[in-house]
Amino acid sequence: MKRNISTISIVALLLLAAACDKKLDIEPAQSISEGLALSTDANVKTVLLGAYDALSEGALLGGSGVTYSELQGADGEIRWVGTYTGLRQIFNHQMAAENDDADALWKRGYTAINICNNVLEVLPVVKEADRDQVKGEALFIRAFSYFQLVRFYAKPFEIGGANTQLGIPIVLRPTRGIDASSFVARNTVKQVYDQIETDLHEAMDLLPEDNGTRASKYAAMALLARFHLQNGVYTEARELADAVIASNVFALTPTIADEFNNDENTSEDIFAVQVSDQDGDNDLVIYYSIPDFGGRDGDIEIEQKHLDLYTNGDERKDFHYEGNGALRTTKWRDQYKNIPVLRLAEMYLISAECAVRAGASGDAAYNATHTRAGLAPAGNVTLDDVLLERRLELAHEGHRMHDVKRLKGSVDGLGYNDPSLVFPIPAREISANKNLEQNEGY
Amino acid sequence: MKRIVFTLLITCLAVLAAVAQRRIEGRVYDPANGDPIIGATVTVKNTTVGTVTDLDGKFVITIAKNEDIISVSYTGYVSTEVVVGNRNQLDIVINQNTSILDEVVVVGYGKQIKSTLTGNIAKVSGENLKSMPVVSFEQGLQGQAAGVYVESVNGKLGGAMRIRVRGVGSINAGTEPLVVIDGIPISKDATNESGAPLNPLADFNFNDVESIEVLKDASAKAIYGSRGSNGVILITTKSGKSGKSRIEFDIQTGMSQATHKREFLNSKEYVELFSEAAYNSDLFEGADSSDSGSWSRFVRSRFNRYDGNTNWRDLKDQTDWQEQAFRKGSVSNATLSFSGGNDKVRYYASANFGKNEGILIANDLEKSGGRVNLDFAASKRLRVGVNLNVARTKLDQLSDDNAFSTPIQLVAMAPITPTRDAAGVLYDRPTTTYYNGLIDVEQGNRSIRTLRTIASVFGDYSFNAHLGLRVEAASNIYTLNDDAHFGNRTDNGNDSNGYGYSRWSQGDDYNTNAVLHWDNQYNKHAVGFDAGTEFFNSRTRRTLVVGEQFPSNDFKTLASAALITAGSSTFTGYSFLSYFGRARYNFDRKYLLNVSGRVDGSSRFGADNRYAFFPAVSAGWVLTEEDILKGNKTLSFLKIRASWGQSGNADIGNFQSRGLYDAGKYDGISTLAPSQIANPALTWEKSQEVDFGIDFGLFNNRLSGELDYYVKNTTDLLLDAPIPATTGFASQSQNIGKLRNKGVELVLNSNNLVGKFTWTTSFNIAANQNEVIALVADQQIIDNGGSRYMNVVKVGEAIGTFYGAEYAGVDPQNGDAIWYVNGPDNNGATTNDYALANSVVLGSPLPKFIGGLSNTFSYGGVTLDVRFQGQYGNKIHNSGGGFMSCNACWFDNQTTDQLDRWQKEGDITQVPQARLGYSNGDQSRSSRYLSDGSYLRLKNVSLSYQLPSRVFGKSGVRDVRIYATGTNLLTFTKYKGWDPEVTADFLASNVVYGTDFYSAPQAKTYVVGLRVGF
Repeated sequence: MKRNISTISIVALLLLAAACDKKLDIEPAQSISEGLALSTDANVKTVLLGAYDALSEGALLGGSGVTYSELQGADGEIRWVGTYTGLRQIFNHQMAAENDDADALWKRGYTAINICNNVLEVLPVVKEADRDQVKGEALFIRAFSYFQLVRFYAKPFEIGGANTQLGIPIVLRPTRGIDASSFVARNTVKQVYDQIETDLHEAMDLLPEDNGTRASKYAAMALLARFHLQNGVYTEARELADAVIASNVFALTPTIADEFNNDENTSEDIFAVQVSDQDGDNDLVIYYSIPDFGGRDGDIEIEQKHLDLYTNGDERKDFHYEGNGALRTTKWRDQYKNIPVLRLAEMYLISAECAVRAGASGDAAYNATHTRAGLAPAGNVTLDDVLLERRLELAHEGHRMHDVKRLKGSVDGLGYNDPSLVFPIPAREISANKNLEQNEGY
Repeated sequence: MKRIVFTLLITCLAVLAAVAQRRIEGRVYDPANGDPIIGATVTVKNTTVGTVTDLDGKFVITIAKNEDIISVSYTGYVSTEVVVGNRNQLDIVINQNTSILDEVVVVGYGKQIKSTLTGNIAKVSGENLKSMPVVSFEQGLQGQAAGVYVESVNGKLGGAMRIRVRGVGSINAGTEPLVVIDGIPISKDATNESGAPLNPLADFNFNDVESIEVLKDASAKAIYGSRGSNGVILITTKSGKSGKSRIEFDIQTGMSQATHKREFLNSKEYVELFSEAAYNSDLFEGADSSDSGSWSRFVRSRFNRYDGNTNWRDLKDQTDWQEQAFRKGSVSNATLSFSGGNDKVRYYASANFGKNEGILIANDLEKSGGRVNLDFAASKRLRVGVNLNVARTKLDQLSDDNAFSTPIQLVAMAPITPTRDAAGVLYDRPTTTYYNGLIDVEQGNRSIRTLRTIASVFGDYSFNAHLGLRVEAASNIYTLNDDAHFGNRTDNGNDSNGYGYSRWSQGDDYNTNAVLHWDNQYNKHAVGFDAGTEFFNSRTRRTLVVGEQFPSNDFKTLASAALITAGSSTFTGYSFLSYFGRARYNFDRKYLLNVSGRVDGSSRFGADNRYAFFPAVSAGWVLTEEDILKGNKTLSFLKIRASWGQSGNADIGNFQSRGLYDAGKYDGISTLAPSQIANPALTWEKSQEVDFGIDFGLFNNRLSGELDYYVKNTTDLLLDAPIPATTGFASQSQNIGKLRNKGVELVLNSNNLVGKFTWTTSFNIAANQNEVIALVADQQIIDNGGSRYMNVVKVGEAIGTFYGAEYAGVDPQNGDAIWYVNGPDNNGATTNDYALANSVVLGSPLPKFIGGLSNTFSYGGVTLDVRFQGQYGNKIHNSGGGFMSCNACWFDNQTTDQLDRWQKEGDITQVPQARLGYSNGDQSRSSRYLSDGSYLRLKNVSLSYQLPSRVFGKSGVRDVRIYATGTNLLTFTKYKGWDPEVTADFLASNVVYGTDFYSAPQAKTYVVGLRVGF
């Protein structure tokens, strides 16, 4: 009898335990599987929005796209006074391979690229009617990400040169697993620029003229215009910029102040990072602004040397304010506001510069922004005039270092192609991938 | 089947032999309290005839005419033999086993006599923790168990504690031991998601502890299978004892202060150093100091900004900002307990209340709770019980070490800055250098309230003297409410008219197990089997609401927030299903053998790799039971033992093997993006461990000890393998890499003096060597240190090894900081360009040795306990050095050692020339900020006086004791920072140890107390 009881209890225990096996099936509540995410029209379109989200991250267009370029090209016009070592190193041209910011930008850029590649891979899942648009948007975001990365991590594009210097790896297929093909090597600068150009051309053809706050045909054209200014194909740049202007879809805001610190796109915005108190990053406010407006400690101060560039009466000079003991730019003052990324003023300045370079008159385009700033119209503007106008109009918007590089200028006594003005390939990346070659000086 | 045949055979023989029999009745009791011993085994010597005592301690046994000796044994008591003679009635007394070697230890799912153990288990008695003025039991454990490394990451109340048993066992999976309280595993997952991690065990009242057993070697912990590899801590709470009811009341009160403070510049020194630094920067740039853009102008404009309503030129207005961060803390604790029972029911009930005011401003902890442990005999065969514990904790938590608002970061402020303006309003930026954390104290608060119930019920059924079944069901339910409000001048709330959030977490864990156990003795062969099954399930739900725009600072709950800016609710869970078995055998308590195995399944792994098997085997030989040594007065006990086993680690994220997409949002719309790359092959991390040990007793066990050597190889590490970020992912969970911990442990216990004046010493020391054997193929290093931190994982080195530039001091010619190049072919070459200095291994944050020494002296009613604890051979990195000790690189106030800066050609110093705004040696990632972290600490001193019992006569008062206790009274170290027991709370991980970043020092606490027993 006793033995029976024990036998029964053992059997009962085993049965009880077996019944529990199902309890090992627990599904995540805040995630879905990769397969599910890429299997329906609606999901793939939502993944495409994920690519916008990635592009708008603080480490990409939501901040660093501006701060890195401006701090590197500061040349005494702005000063980094914050505690973040990574940004201080960028400002001091003393970057280490372990630099946190170099690491973050690299990761973010390729995260966005991988999302685009995933979308592009499963295009057949998307309804045919929407397929072109989805493809165009993914190509636009991928091209933008590559353009941001190649300008920071590679030696500058040499206009008219062979550009065989090391660029960044080109990855065009989504990652579904890790295998030998995951360990990519760097392509040349030329190859990367070619890829960007191809993607943007295709995007331009596929995208609709009006696409709300998302990438439109004009956004692709504007980015391509900027791209061609960088690689010195000025006729193309000018045509594209003029076409955007001539479309009359966009108009300069009445004053420069109207263009910044907005909740919604302005008439001038061709493409902007959307920020609200709910989502989107505006890291520029964190560094450029002060606690009263939601900034940190006013980590980036504007120096007198910068203000000296403006003539009196220039409204853009007055678009600075005194806060926490130093001068600040008003462009990045308020938190939770959009970040204009491509705006019509830039198109005017590209047009003006390319016109002057071609020996034509750039006066009209030049005066568009010049007079908006409350200044008298100018005539017979020279290249220097246009470049100064560009510097003032687009000040603190992340163009500085890239302009110095394409114009073969210098900052803080360093030549435009000095190795210390090129980011290191992140040390983490070098150690994870032995096929990557480090940049000079790291 | 064999057994039945065997039993029948024996019975037949017995029947044949025993022609004439007689019936003996008896009773077994404990002479100490007169309580009957229930369930004692009574056997007739040299036969298999036996029985167990009933609830009154009574037994009836039939013996043959020619048999005369009855032996009685009971766990925890000395086995006794009684000659029957011609008596029919026996009163047998058996004494509690007080010998160290024969004490009973708790093992996984059971108990065992220590002398028959084949594994390594460190036992700490609840007596050693009693009345310690600390928040959680781990602090009491520090230095008391060999090979058990305990660290409170900083001195903030309620903060995380880290325990490492025999070294760091994993790189990315968990490294904390499994903690089991009365049978239920307590998940030590950080119970909050924001700010510094909390310690869930702080809720637990350690005065309820009967004993803590730390299972260290594979044979002891393999019975916990996939969760055993980091060691297992079994906490057994007190249960009632039959006999008179007892009431005990303990109250204590005292104060606390920081173990150590640092020295910072005063106003005069600050102005002098920074003026010099600015002047040097002008020289460095070749600029004219009188230029409007010069550093010298700039520094004066900053002084003007920082001095508020005072004048920095006077050099007399001083603020010691460090003093603003600290205060005199206080401690008060009260516990009350009742215990007792009779032959049917036993009970232990307690209530506790404690209040701690921390040594840092606005850091308070209040805890209260109660416990009822009850068990009763439902029938002659069935004993059932319940352990119920409710606890309530309220913690006013500080922000983590990385936040400007954390009190210690106040030290960065300039001494020329007053705290308040003429109107008494706290200064903030731009007058203060950074956000003034005192505003957080005045206008902010963050309270974390935890309610926790741990309840377990069990039933013990004995089918007969040999076979029993124990069934346990337990649950651990908690709710945690983390409410914060920050007013309109705080860093969080100043741009939004106040900021607040309310976070709720609910944890719901339950565990059931059933173990069938069988024990028998055949002559000198003792055999035992256990077989069991266990199911553990954990569910966590969290919700969060964040709001801004409060009407005024008087409103602190979110009901008054005009703008709700975020909200969330989440769910996660995991489960384990296990089957296990164990066989024990010993021959005459001389040759010992133990075999166990466990099969575990977990929801955390993919369906194909869900189950794994974890075996262990161990053996021992008690040499002193051999005739040649038996009775030897000098060598009274000697046992050698060896064990091998495999245990696992599944302490990873709940869904880590899958390829996942998470939701996000952009422009007011939902988005989806990949969050994790799949690894369908993901499986358990495995540790194989061998252990060789010697247990010995000398001079009649006056001196006893243990010596162990172990090697633990962990393979298939659950590694967040770094992958090229060009894939869109930075890491993938892989089973890859190897890690080894090997070491030696020595424990010595000695009764130096016995008699009227007693003196006992207990000493332990452990050396552990941790080495990363392999990572991903071709990968030599995992380095997530960035530019500020130095802990890395590097093949051939210990986990967390410091890796960075080697500082070479200062160039006497020009005051430049220099580093060794450490290139492949430049011996001893130095450079003033930090970027050219190659990173090298600079030292390990893990100690080579840890240990503890305690001495107890007692004479009459006076007892003095003195306990030291320490570690040796580790390094500490002050990663805040690049701010606070950077020869005035920026405006942070500097430590006084920076006054030794290089000033003129020929100066020999370690502090470079001061250059404001320039990097001249301020790179944190260098050996400049690394120092020896060894320390020896007078951890605990307790002096108590027990009033003579005759004072109380028949008043019912049994015991009155007055005591004074101090913890962390003295610390001997070369480390110049606040305290050598340190890891910045926001960094603390498997890889990061010994990295200081404005981390609060430990508290030095003094209490006086009174303990009364009725």
